[in-house]
Amino acid sequence: MSAEPLRSHDLRKVYQSRGAPPTTALAGVSLEVHRGERVALLGRNGAGKTTFLRIASTLLRPTSGTIEIFGHDADRDPELARPLIAVVPQEGKPFFHLTPYEQVYTYLRARGFSREVGKARTAEALEKMGLTDIQDRLAITLSGGQRQRTMVATVIATEAPLLFLDEPTIGMDPFARRAVWDALRELTRRGSTMLLTTHYLDEAEALSDRLYIIDRGRVLVKGTAEELKASVGGTLKVTLAKGAERRPLFESFGECVVDGSSCTVIVSPEKLGELMAVAVREQLTATVGPVTLEEAFLRFVGRSINEDDN
Amino acid sequence: MRTTTEGTAPARSRAFRGLPAFFWTEVLVQANELTAMATSMVIQGVVLVFVWILDPSLLGIAFVGALIFSMFTMGQRLLNEAAYIRIDHKANDLYLASPLSPEGYFLGMAGGILFVYITPVIVMGILAEIVVRFTLPEVALLLALCLCVWISSASIGYTFSTFFRDNRAIWAYASLFFTTFGVVFPVFYPLTAFPAGLQPIALLLPPSAAASLMQAAIGAIPVVTSRILFAAIALVAETTALFGFAIYWARRTVREG
Repeated sequence: MSAEPLRSHDLRKVYQSRGAPPTTALAGVSLEVHRGERVALLGRNGAGKTTFLRIASTLLRPTSGTIEIFGHDADRDPELARPLIAVVPQEGKPFFHLTPYEQVYTYLRARGFSREVGKARTAEALEKMGLTDIQDRLAITLSGGQRQRTMVATVIATEAPLLFLDEPTIGMDPFARRAVWDALRELTRRGSTMLLTTHYLDEAEALSDRLYIIDRGRVLVKGTAEELKASVGGTLKVTLAKGAERRPLFESFGECVVDGSSCTVIVSPEKLGELMAVAVREQLTATVGPVTLEEAFLRFVGRSINEDDN
Repeated sequence: MRTTTEGTAPARSRAFRGLPAFFWTEVLVQANELTAMATSMVIQGVVLVFVWILDPSLLGIAFVGALIFSMFTMGQRLLNEAAYIRIDHKANDLYLASPLSPEGYFLGMAGGILFVYITPVIVMGILAEIVVRFTLPEVALLLALCLCVWISSASIGYTFSTFFRDNRAIWAYASLFFTTFGVVFPVFYPLTAFPAGLQPIALLLPPSAAASLMQAAIGAIPVVTSRILFAAIALVAETTALFGFAIYWARRTVREG
């Protein structure tokens, strides 16, 4: 396994459906994931993240382009790629009539693990996900977050060389999310590689080594969270309540983004004092904070990550 | 990385890989839902009571029909189960994007259902033995016929399960299959009671073909060589074709186009 864990080139997917115009889900996505990396695909609903993940995980055929998993053509030779991957599907649920222990253990057995390794890995994964106390309860009796943790435990127990996680922490409480992040970080320390999709910006920032921002089937930008934030043009953001109509006063300090009646200005620390003086003079309420990925996302996509096309 | 390569070994030419493990997965799933198993023979039981009230002399035929039709409904459970896992749980992605082979997934699920639901069929078989008094060759024939019916039904069930995007749409088809294969055409009643001109059509349906062969074997209907040959060839050919197609389809539908 000397090749890159994942490499796609000009990957396109057009969905054809009767009575409706074709829908382009991917419009030429080229990306690479290096060994031991955690890479996030960041995008709004319908951006193409799940389509890419399903093609990469050999479950969907691309319309054109190439995609390789450790050098194996995932489209032509999916049987060679599948043993090297594991997938947390979007909105996937465990079998309701299995317990978390049975779910993880039987999955490992179905993948070809021995009983001994299967039992050890199952216990370890359930503990990491905080499921040990409820490991013998049927999944039908568990909460949505516990079921999602069961799905993540099922996949991390495989320690597959390449993991795909489609919105892995959806429906989880903040503590559970952090437990998942820790488990995923540990897995990559052990040598696994990870591609995840998320529309939680904090998750993308906390978890990923690199990010690809995708919109309408295209990669708009790639880089580390720091690089993307730096590209915004400042390290601080000042949100001015009711500042939209006085935007011209602040445009010289940095990029201004109007959202309703408020205006957010991206500034460098050196200009902050001067900007605040103007805000006080104009009797505007100002909130200062560090630039986050949200600003970077807005800058590249032009819309908030939670905003739908329609 | 930890050095074990278990679960990541190359999988080319590993047909049926993971079948035993997924079989046990499905056994556990089904075994944790025992009420469904316990109530799986209610309809067959009700039919037997009706037949007993209407004409007790047909009870032997009805028992044979109940056994054969139980194998058919067990195969049809796959229609609901496979669609449920795919549509409601989206868990098939978890399994199919793994070294588990598609045919291992299909047959493991089918076998797991069979393993759990066979218990009430065995009880029914014991009751049938008391009523009919099968000879040993008849038992062997009955087992072979039940196997054919189960394989063909499971193959139909799995293949159809891949066509749906909504579970509610499946209910209508499931009851259509149930009514067509088990109620309208002769399974619980003698083939000879069915319109003569339509009997060849009945013999093209696996449950009716199997029931007719068994009815002839126990002397419940006259032995007509041409009819027996037709039913036997149709049943074996259809079972083989349906099974082969289901394996092909399982492999093909791992990936959406």
